[in-house]
Amino acid sequence: MERLKKSNVGPPEPPAWAKGLLGRFSPPGLEDELQGDLLEMYAYWVETIGLRGARWRYALAVLRLIRPFTSSTPKHACHYSQPPTLQSAMIRNYLKIAWRNLRKQKNHTAINLVGMSVAFAASILLLLSAYFEYSYDRFYKNAAYIFRPYLVFNEAESTYKASSLPYPFLPTLKAEFPEINQATRYIASRGKIYYRTKELTKDIRCADPDILTLFSFSMRQGNPSTALNNLSNIVISETMAKDVFGTENPIGKSVLIKGFGDPKTFIVTGIVADAPPNASMQYDAFIRIENQPNYAENKSQWNNRNHTAYVSLKPGVSPTTIDKRLRTFANAYFQELIRDLTKNGARPDERGSVVTVGLQPLTDVHFNTQLTAGQQTGRRYLYILLTIGVVILLIAAINFINLTLAQSFTRAREVGVRKSLGARKSQLFVQLWGEALLICGLSLVLGVGLATWLLPYFNTLFNAKLSLALLTNPLTILAITAGLGLITLLAGGYPALRIASFSTVHTLKGVFTGGKASGLRNSLIITQFSIACTLIICTFVVLRQLHYLREKPLGFIEEQVISLPVGDDINGAAALAQLRNRLVSNPNVIAVSGTAINIGSGLDGGESQSRMGFMFNGKEIVTDWVRVDYDYLKTLGIRLRAGRDFASSFATDSTSAVLVTTTMAKKLGSVNPVGMIFKAGENDNPYQVVGVIDDFHLYRLQNRIEPMTLHLQSRNPIQYILIRTTPQRMLPVMETLKDAWRQIAPKSVFMASFLDENTDRWYQQEERQSQMYGIAASIAILLSCMGLFAIVLLSTEQRTKEIGIRKVLGASVASLVALLSKDFLKLIVIAVVIASSLAWYAMNQWLADFAYKIEMEWWVFVGAGLLAIGIALLTVSFQSVKAALTIPVNSLKSE
Amino acid sequence: MKRAFLGELEEVVLLTEAALQELAYCASITQTIDQQMGRSISFPTVHTTLQRLEEKGFVASQMGGATTERGGRQKRLFTVTAAGQRALLECRQVRVQLWEQIPTEIVQLWSA
Repeated sequence: MERLKKSNVGPPEPPAWAKGLLGRFSPPGLEDELQGDLLEMYAYWVETIGLRGARWRYALAVLRLIRPFTSSTPKHACHYSQPPTLQSAMIRNYLKIAWRNLRKQKNHTAINLVGMSVAFAASILLLLSAYFEYSYDRFYKNAAYIFRPYLVFNEAESTYKASSLPYPFLPTLKAEFPEINQATRYIASRGKIYYRTKELTKDIRCADPDILTLFSFSMRQGNPSTALNNLSNIVISETMAKDVFGTENPIGKSVLIKGFGDPKTFIVTGIVADAPPNASMQYDAFIRIENQPNYAENKSQWNNRNHTAYVSLKPGVSPTTIDKRLRTFANAYFQELIRDLTKNGARPDERGSVVTVGLQPLTDVHFNTQLTAGQQTGRRYLYILLTIGVVILLIAAINFINLTLAQSFTRAREVGVRKSLGARKSQLFVQLWGEALLICGLSLVLGVGLATWLLPYFNTLFNAKLSLALLTNPLTILAITAGLGLITLLAGGYPALRIASFSTVHTLKGVFTGGKASGLRNSLIITQFSIACTLIICTFVVLRQLHYLREKPLGFIEEQVISLPVGDDINGAAALAQLRNRLVSNPNVIAVSGTAINIGSGLDGGESQSRMGFMFNGKEIVTDWVRVDYDYLKTLGIRLRAGRDFASSFATDSTSAVLVTTTMAKKLGSVNPVGMIFKAGENDNPYQVVGVIDDFHLYRLQNRIEPMTLHLQSRNPIQYILIRTTPQRMLPVMETLKDAWRQIAPKSVFMASFLDENTDRWYQQEERQSQMYGIAASIAILLSCMGLFAIVLLSTEQRTKEIGIRKVLGASVASLVALLSKDFLKLIVIAVVIASSLAWYAMNQWLADFAYKIEMEWWVFVGAGLLAIGIALLTVSFQSVKAALTIPVNSLKSE
Repeated sequence: MKRAFLGELEEVVLLTEAALQELAYCASITQTIDQQMGRSISFPTVHTTLQRLEEKGFVASQMGGATTERGGRQKRLFTVTAAGQRALLECRQVRVQLWEQIPTEIVQLWSA
């Protein structure tokens, strides 16, 4: 069949691919004879062994004859071959030329070096912090199998998630799920340790014995599987061993520990390595969780949630595979809670559960802002770091490309000469690209040095924990080298390719046009300034929002009120009573009260929310349900709109009276609900509204004001004591309070703080972000302007003669400056427009997180734009004015 | 100088080349060996052998005329140099010597 078709077409042809291969890879100088010989052989083979065999043999022969497989380098063909592209003599020449060029173009070199090294330093720091954030908890050997259980409550209006669990939860879970390998409960507790004369406050964490093996902690001494077997065992970290015992061997020593109920003696049974800084679990020591003060009472209480937990699943088990059984588990053990929630109008999720158990991967713990109140970073922060780092590098790379391209005409003649002397394009490319590599490499060295020097400042500014060790770890070095290669390929490769492909004739004749290049140059400048302007606008908006958050009246007095966390050791109500007695005669104390929910973020880091839902007039109402004490309004300066405050003279106040905010009053459907009665809670207790108060912000301004009800139910414990002082004597009261507290609660730590500090602490993350944006914006605009400066410098140099002639013909300085600047200013204006829309979009996203936010007014954009234009104008005019002022004689006689 | 050794394959190729006289080039040599000796030596083998022979100075080459059946490509024509002739003669002489040492009646016995 094949044969037939072939003979119809004409004489048989050997396989085209093999022929082509031979044409391309034949040994130098031998192509002609081999092609001819093989064609004859092919015809011969077709005759003797048939077409199929012939094709086969032909292909085999070609494969054996082509270059990498043949050993034939005939003498007579030698003079045809090229010398290798890189010879040591040529490399020496390249280096010499590169060095001369760098020295000749001092401005260019300096701008490139400074720009690139600043960009490298900034990006290294930013990308390292991004990597650091990312690396959280990933170093544990079995990190992929470790999970943190949490509870999901499908409440009436929202879904509430919490990682705090009741004591019996984990033991039961472990007993019922054979898929669970190891499990430990965990409380981030602190305590005081006494040894001989030493007395130190340390992070003594409470956990189950499994903790040592679940996380791959490396034990310096002691056996991880038995070290916490005894209730009075303690395992300490290396640092703590050094702090407490110095050079002694701590194993077997006994220490006294306070902070967990009565002082107790523990025996050191193990030394564990310190937690690396990128571990979300930081510790000085571990003791058994059974040492918690109220453990015995709460051991089998399913409704007292006070600790977190970690479990490791057996390989191959994923949370989804056991989800169904986890639901059954939750239904079985949280019956009481489910009943309460259902009564409050809970809405089951799509699979019918009111309360479910979730398993959160350990690697997500660090980024989770939902489950853990406090200062978690959030994944977005990581993306911001990454973006800014890359963007700064991009700006520096653009500078590099623009400068090299703008200068390429100075190299054109060299390229022409080299080409006419026989340099190939690839050789020229390697030469020019090598120069880029040289500059970038040099900047990298400078940048790394700069980064090392800036590291401590960076750490304090951004609350980061970067270390030099991170910089010198082989992975980082590898990544930095790869990054360098990529950047030089990008920034050096394109200009090198363009310059190397200049036409020889044109360059030698001196005909040189840069038409297309300037189009590229302009779009690159626009890109740069768009980025810089976007960052400037973002900084403005974030700063304004932050200012707004700080300054917005929250509805209560912040400055003169001290909040004192009670802690777990003593009864809040009793402590409040004692403190009231001590402070009642103090003229500097205006009022003392208590609450279950702190205002702002206190030094104990606790944040909680308590809500209640009930049916009222056939309508469901959900309200914040805040336990307070007498004088709450007076202490916080909250205005009473109608009715009366709580008063001890009314016996029923402590059981059934409530104060509601105006928003709550609206929910109840009345402007003046004083006297109204509603039924809520487990036993449908009746509550009577005795007063209406102004709305106030109990939670950060990310949240909208919700209906709020204040009550005195002693079932909810007092956890914070609030003290309002006179404006003049704020600090002395703090001192008095400290003394009083030492006597009232000798076992607990004094962690009082002013409310305005607390509310400021709400916005720490936003503050960090604004600083980050600010610094990034400054670097971006600085680098962009440096690039612009260099380009203007070059273009005015090229137009020196033109300027001279214009001056001679009578052009004014102003018109010359305008002539030289307007092209560049046009670009900046375009960039500002692009940046405004970009920033508007980005900031809209960011502001969406806040229930209370600023409007993005037009003047912010105009202001930022004007700032950018102003800086750019300053840069441009510096050169253009200088050029316009030059005496034309000098510029015209130069030839 | 040690005399360059002529391998068996080299000898065959050199001999064929000598037989083909001015028509000797790589393809014709391969085909002749294939046809006359019934021995399939691949083309690349012949090619490298010829190169080796040239290196050793047994053959010399020059580019020759192109024909249509080879797609207008030039061919490299080989001629045996004086050294090559001497090597071939020596080869033959060694063989003849050895043949003569075999008693005549035994040779007759074989061919019978």
